[in-house]
Amino acid sequence: MTKAAPVYVLGGAQTDFARNWSKEGKHFVAMMREATLGALEATRIEPREVETAHVGNFAAELYAKQGHIGAFFLEIDPVFSGLPTSRHEAACASGSIALIAASADIEAARYDLACVVGVEQMKTVDSTTGGDILGTAAWYEREAKGIEFPFPKLFGRLGDEYDKRYGLKDEHLAHISAVNYSNAKRNPNAQTRNWFMSESHAQHESKFNMRIGGRIKVSDCSQVTDGSVALFLASEKFARAWAKRNGKTLADIPRILGWGHHTAPIEFDTKVAESRDNAYVLPHTRQAILDAFKRAGIASAAELSGIETHDCFTTSEYMAIDHFGITKPGESWKAVEEGVIELGGKLPINPSGGLIGAGHPVGATGVRQMLDCHRQITDSAGDYQVEGAKKFAMLNIGGSGTTSCVFIVGK
Amino acid sequence: MANNNKVVIIGANGTMGAGAGCVLAGGGYSVTLLARRSDKAAQGLADAQNDARAEAIAERISLGAYDTDLSRAVSEAAIIFESLAEDLPLKRQFFELIDKSRRPDAIVASGSSGLSVAEMARGRSDSFRRNFLGVHLFNPPQVIVGTEVIPGPDTDPAVVKGVVAMLTRRLGRKVIVSKDMPAFVGNRVGFKVLNETAQLAAEHGVAFIDYLIGPHTGRAMAPLATVDMVGWDVHKAIVDNVHANCEDEAHESFAMPAYMNVALHKGCLGDKTPERGGFYRRAGKQVFVLDPKTGGHENYQKPAPIEFVEKMKQLHHVGRYGEALKVLAEAKGADADVCRRVVLGYVSYALNRVGEVAASSADVDTIMSYGFNWAPPTAIVDLLGAKNTVAMLQKLKLTVPAVVEQAAASGARMFSGGILEYGRTFVG
Repeated sequence: MTKAAPVYVLGGAQTDFARNWSKEGKHFVAMMREATLGALEATRIEPREVETAHVGNFAAELYAKQGHIGAFFLEIDPVFSGLPTSRHEAACASGSIALIAASADIEAARYDLACVVGVEQMKTVDSTTGGDILGTAAWYEREAKGIEFPFPKLFGRLGDEYDKRYGLKDEHLAHISAVNYSNAKRNPNAQTRNWFMSESHAQHESKFNMRIGGRIKVSDCSQVTDGSVALFLASEKFARAWAKRNGKTLADIPRILGWGHHTAPIEFDTKVAESRDNAYVLPHTRQAILDAFKRAGIASAAELSGIETHDCFTTSEYMAIDHFGITKPGESWKAVEEGVIELGGKLPINPSGGLIGAGHPVGATGVRQMLDCHRQITDSAGDYQVEGAKKFAMLNIGGSGTTSCVFIVGK
Repeated sequence: MANNNKVVIIGANGTMGAGAGCVLAGGGYSVTLLARRSDKAAQGLADAQNDARAEAIAERISLGAYDTDLSRAVSEAAIIFESLAEDLPLKRQFFELIDKSRRPDAIVASGSSGLSVAEMARGRSDSFRRNFLGVHLFNPPQVIVGTEVIPGPDTDPAVVKGVVAMLTRRLGRKVIVSKDMPAFVGNRVGFKVLNETAQLAAEHGVAFIDYLIGPHTGRAMAPLATVDMVGWDVHKAIVDNVHANCEDEAHESFAMPAYMNVALHKGCLGDKTPERGGFYRRAGKQVFVLDPKTGGHENYQKPAPIEFVEKMKQLHHVGRYGEALKVLAEAKGADADVCRRVVLGYVSYALNRVGEVAASSADVDTIMSYGFNWAPPTAIVDLLGAKNTVAMLQKLKLTVPAVVEQAAASGARMFSGGILEYGRTFVG
């Protein structure tokens, strides 16, 4: 791994994930516009300073019958006319792929300032249709076609695989859900911030908490969310000047300390067969984490102040705990029982509420996680701030553990 | 504030009582729902479970009846929340009972949407009056987070501070402190606009007014459909109260239209009387609309599109809210004049309440935006430009609020947030 030029994270903004943009009668470009204008205002960056834009989006073709999403960046401000833009897609990891592409632009010194926008408008369709659209993140023909809500079932099987190899109690999954909902109450942009949740509600099947895929109940699931997030990545040159004009020094500005990116076979059965003799159920996810650690020069998760992880279902957060090396493989339950993952715990996971609590606008999630890492490192996360956060990690996953992207952000 | 987690809700079988129960239990309080009979309280619990979408909320809720449980439950509670009908003698009767049993440090909050807090507390003990205040939630409380706290003349400032902190931090509410004047801030401003549109409907028709002054003017729902949702009885109680007890620049806007009084007398209460309806009546998929001239309901016919309205909707659709308001400012013709008068009338009336019933323009923004889901008035000023707003107000012969004059003079932006805060209130 060669040492690349540093990539600085200047901050950004997000839409309120509780909003329903279809009810507001709006096109997704309105979402991109609000997030990007909000990001410009929050960072005091002028539109004319933006040199390139990378947009993360999963399935606007299916949700909104619109492709060519990168071009919509130009609709935000006339100054953007002519700007090089592109759209990136890797299912729920689309936002991270946009971040990686923008980082590569900065590292290669092609541009000094990149805007990264994640966007997904999901409430354009009913829940069954939405579930079917999400099925295209798996091998649709083999794993999703004709199956109602295929993804809860796939991630239920991730739980089953843990159960088979190490044993898994659903009460630990329920606790993960309750922690995410509880954290979300502190996040002013979280979709579920005013929803009711309790440990006992999460534990029990009921008419409001139905089983929808094997061991997965409604409370184990992330949300169907409309949302957009925009942030800026910059070269050292731009970051230095930007810091100066904002009365800061370069040392005050968070940067991407390390990243990892691996793709596993798209079919869940193939993944499981491949990892049969491995201590880690998703070894490519594990490798993405190790790569990020190595690039960031950190030995283990003990050096992190917190993690924003991909809890599309409680089982994926359960998986992240041992894959980050917080516990030995198969012992994630120990971190759950000991309160390690809670706000105020030894290594808080998803202080924002994660995908379960904060919401999961698919193509925007990676960008939201990066923005939350930035908030934590700059001590601006408000009520969900992890005190004294120095280094924060994020794990963003596309498909059934298929595309894994990890970033570590710090100063 | 009493150091325990117990809350009693009086009038728990009503929509607001059950909703308050849902919100408080969701915030971790141990809630007792009280009603005239415990089976009525049980209905409140069922409603709270539906509101919370969780049967498990029942673990934090117990039930009781006034006769058998009120004095014991009240004697154990840290907070007593009254959610009875808007009937002053009835409320006073219960406050007398509560005064006899409550702990000296227990807070008593009334959920009234506009009755005088001072009147409700009159004759009660010193300790009661020090710990008594209004906590006005909007319907449905588990969804609408805007909340007004209304101290009475004797309320201890520390109690106000504690309740505001609890509502904000623990229950996630957006809170303002309002003066004890009829309808407080939210309903005073909101129902001025709603009643004005009801008056306009007498001349222009219901469907037309809901189209002309629809969601594109900065509201989640068209105004007359909103009145149907609120209920005509509630609407009448609010506007009559303000009309009788407030002398201000918009006094006549609070006069309940005669056609509404007639329909109300016949039992048209809006959505809560689906068979009689209100401005609208639905039968299966068919929609009927009230004709204010005849008092009957006719087949709903979509009004013919108006160019500037359609332009505004299209601009909101793609997030260009400032440009949409520019279209409103520049539109020609009588329809545009009517629309401008209502929108600018809202800005004028709302911001003219600053220093009267509201402490600041930020408070007015908060309650209109989070209580009504309407565009914050200062955001409208910013989008139109303060100088331009002053010129428009003057042309319409509407009061120019001092805070708008100041913004026009200084060039400062009025709204405290940005597009991410006001964007949701403009509907395409």
